[in-house]
Parts: sequence; C-alpha cells; structure tokens
Amino acid sequence: MRRVAVTGIGIISPLGNSIAEALSNATAGRSAICRIDEPWCRRLVSPLAARVAFNGDEHFAPPKLRMLDRVSQFAVVAARQAIADAAVDIAITDRQRIGVFLGTGMGGSQTTDDGYQTLYAEQSDRIKPFTILMGMTNAPAAWIGIEYGVTGPNLTYSTACSSSAVAIGEAWMRLRQGDLDIAIAGGAEAPLSFGALKAWEALHTLASEDPTNPSSSCKPFAKNRSGMVLGEGAAVVVLEEWERAIKRGATIHGELIGYGVVTDAAHITRPTVDGQAAAMRAALKAAACATVSIDNINAHGTGTQVNDAVETAAIKEVFGDVAYSIPISATKAIHGHLLGASGAIEFALALLAMQRDVLLPTMHLEVAAEDCDLDYVPNCARHNVKISTFMSNSFAFGGTNAVLVGRSTE
Amino acid sequence: MTTLEQLSKILVKNYKIDPARLTLDGPLAELGIDSLGMAELLFFIEDEFKVQLPFDPVALPTLGDAVCYIDRLLAAQNATEKSTIAGVVPPASPHPPA
Repeated sequence: MRRVAVTGIGIISPLGNSIAEALSNATAGRSAICRIDEPWCRRLVSPLAARVAFNGDEHFAPPKLRMLDRVSQFAVVAARQAIADAAVDIAITDRQRIGVFLGTGMGGSQTTDDGYQTLYAEQSDRIKPFTILMGMTNAPAAWIGIEYGVTGPNLTYSTACSSSAVAIGEAWMRLRQGDLDIAIAGGAEAPLSFGALKAWEALHTLASEDPTNPSSSCKPFAKNRSGMVLGEGAAVVVLEEWERAIKRGATIHGELIGYGVVTDAAHITRPTVDGQAAAMRAALKAAACATVSIDNINAHGTGTQVNDAVETAAIKEVFGDVAYSIPISATKAIHGHLLGASGAIEFALALLAMQRDVLLPTMHLEVAAEDCDLDYVPNCARHNVKISTFMSNSFAFGGTNAVLVGRSTE
Repeated sequence: MTTLEQLSKILVKNYKIDPARLTLDGPLAELGIDSLGMAELLFFIEDEFKVQLPFDPVALPTLGDAVCYIDRLLAAQNATEKSTIAGVVPPASPHPPA
C-alpha cells in the first residue's frame, strides 16, 4: 500500500480565513461564537452562531458569484488555499489521476431557504433560475473540479456531521490503493439560514446562551454543557502520494495513516459506545498503530449531553487505562459545529497543532461532568509537547462514525 | 428610459459590468453571461420589463439581440392587451430570434 502525505491545507472558518490565523485563535482559545442579530433572530431561543468573516465579491467575478451558494464559495476558496499551500502544479499533472472528495451535510441550504421564502412566505412563483444548481449538495465539489479541470472522481459525501472526515478517509483509500495520485479533500457547510437554525433548534440540540458570556455557550465535556452551536466554513486538504510529494520537494504537513468508518445502525440520532469505539479501533488497525501511540485526540466533542458522555465512554473502551493519559481537544467550543465541514477543520487543526508541538485547549470547561473524566486540556493550550500521532473523531446523526489518524513527518 | 438603458441597468446592478463595455454588438458571453447565465438574465428581464417570456429557451448572442427581443415581446404584449380590451382573440406569442 502506498503512503499518503498531506501537502496542502486551506481553511475558511469562524477562527479565521488562513491556516495561521485559525491555528493562532484555536491555540489562544479565542471563541468565534457570538450572538447574531438579524431581525429574524428574535424568533430564535438562542441566537448564537459562529460566523465566517467572508465577502464573496473579493473572490469571484459577479456572473460566477451569482451561481454560488455560500457553501460553494467557502469550498472553492478553501481549495484554492490548499492547492496554493501545496504548491502543486495541477496543469502539468494527469488530471484524471486527481480526485475531489468533499463532505457537506446540508449543501446549499441558504439557497433552499431563500426559495421557500419566495414560494411560501411571499406567495410568489418567482423562484430564481439558479436555485437547483446552487442548492444541490454536490455543487461545492463540482465547482472545485471545474476550477482546476480535475477529471478524476468528483464525489460528495453527505453523512451529516462526519461527512468531511468520510470524504478525507475515502480519498485516502483511493490514494493508498494507487487509483489516484492527488486528492483535494475536505468539507464545507453554510447552515446559518433562519430555516436551518430553526430546524436545529426544534431538535433541542442547540446550546442555551451563557448568561454572562455568549461566546462561551458551547461547553464540551462540562458539567453545565447544554448543547452545540452551529458554525459555518470549509476546510480542504491536498492529499498526495508520498513518493510523488517527496520527489517534487513538497512541504509535507504530516501523513494520513489511518481511517476507520463504522456505522451504529441503532438509532437515527443517539450514538452508541460500541459504534464509536469500533470506528476508533478500525482507524487504529488501518494505521497499524497501537493505542499507546496516540498522543492527542481531537474529539467530536459537540457539547451535547449525549455525545460527550458516549464519546468519553468509547475512548475508555478502546484505550483502557491509557485513555486517562491522552490529552483530548474539543475545538467546537470555539469554532462551533460546522456539521459536514467539522471533520475536515478538526483534522486540519489537529495536524497543524501537531506540527507546532501544541495541544489545543477545550475551552469553557470549568467543571467536567462526572461521566467525562478524561484529560480534555481544559481552557489553556499546552506548548512544547511532542505529538507524533493524533486521532480525529467525527460522529454523526445517522450513525456513520469516521475516525482519521495522522502522523508527524519527524 | 430606452430598452437598452433598462437592460444596461440590470447588467450593471446585478453583474457589476462596467457601463462602458455595454455595446449593442457586444457578445453577452464576453460579459460573463453564457447560455446558463442567460436563463437568469431572462428572469430579470421579466421582472424589469413586466413581460412574460415564452417558456422555450431563446438564444440572444448580443446585447442588441436582447434589446430587439424585448422590444418585440413588448409590442406583442401591447397588441394583445389592446385586442383583449377590444374583445378580439389575442395573437400567438412572438417567435424568438434564431
């Protein structure tokens, strides 16, 4: 089997629109979650979100921008960043040996919301002509492929909150087997429309607003955690066959060494310890990696009562006593839950932190819950910590559990 | 306001096109409006000119073609309205240019 290098990373996120800015804010634990104040926010119980500071006009010519939902704008700009970071010349590569693998949970949900507004709220039949092509779930991946003329597989994965971890993992498998030489892989999500926020609210999974500091409302693993906060953004990595990357003198961020995907097949929302544990075991097996080798876990860590307790139990199930000595980072506390983009941004942040010998903090964790008794790196990053191997967990409604394992180049 | 001025207003507002580039013989594709973009432009034309376009697709390679097309539709629509008022059966829809 071939080895897979991560040679490029692109991030458009609430924590910043570059890898340097996003990592700096993640390390400092600066939360991007805040109150949102559109007129319709008065109809939300907790008007909270983690938004990206982003203006599509700065990135696309007007006629093209008119065809791009916000989710596609994020995806394409993150891909541009990743490809520039990889310094790979796609024009001289066999483009049928390059694939695009993207995850998104809700696709162009803003466009869909706008269409409903026209049709039902305004009682108008004037649905915009681009509604279908902007709203379709595979649009973000398609636009990346079109921009770079990539003619290999262009695949979109929609497994809710594990979508982009699945996308990266499936791309890894293709590279490993020799089907492709390069993959542009990651995820994008732009779910902060009124309709989407109301729908998530109706499910009773969103955090209540912290009365003293709204930006600290998402509290993974804490005793007083109350749920997740929705965020938006995209993260894309360039995966490249190892020898090819070495040969062209690429700067390698790290190596993707394992991927496990196991499905709960139990309940549409409630996770299972067995399913999550099995996914972690599958990833470790694929990576040929012992439990004692994992130096950091980027947890799924949503801040919901159920997830954090089940994930903690699953980590203990897999790692046994070793679990207590593995630092666990839950960065959703500050960038929110990017749904289908979560797995990609968390994998990227964990990889970048590993490169810089930093353990990212889990913020807003004053008192851990009784059933959350591991080392979550509470409230403060740890520096100068040698990290050789990390695990990134992504679990999902629908039960598709995906786990990635990355390794340092040193 | 002439048809060209009204159409130019749409192109400047929605596509951020420099008014100096808007000439009657200029291909719309060179302004970034390809056959797919045309579907949206026709949508805007319906709103701006308060005219209902035939459902079938139409090819309008240049701004001048679009202006002629709109003028023909408006003329046909006016004739229909007058005929309807007079109790005459309305004529068929105008044929789009080739």
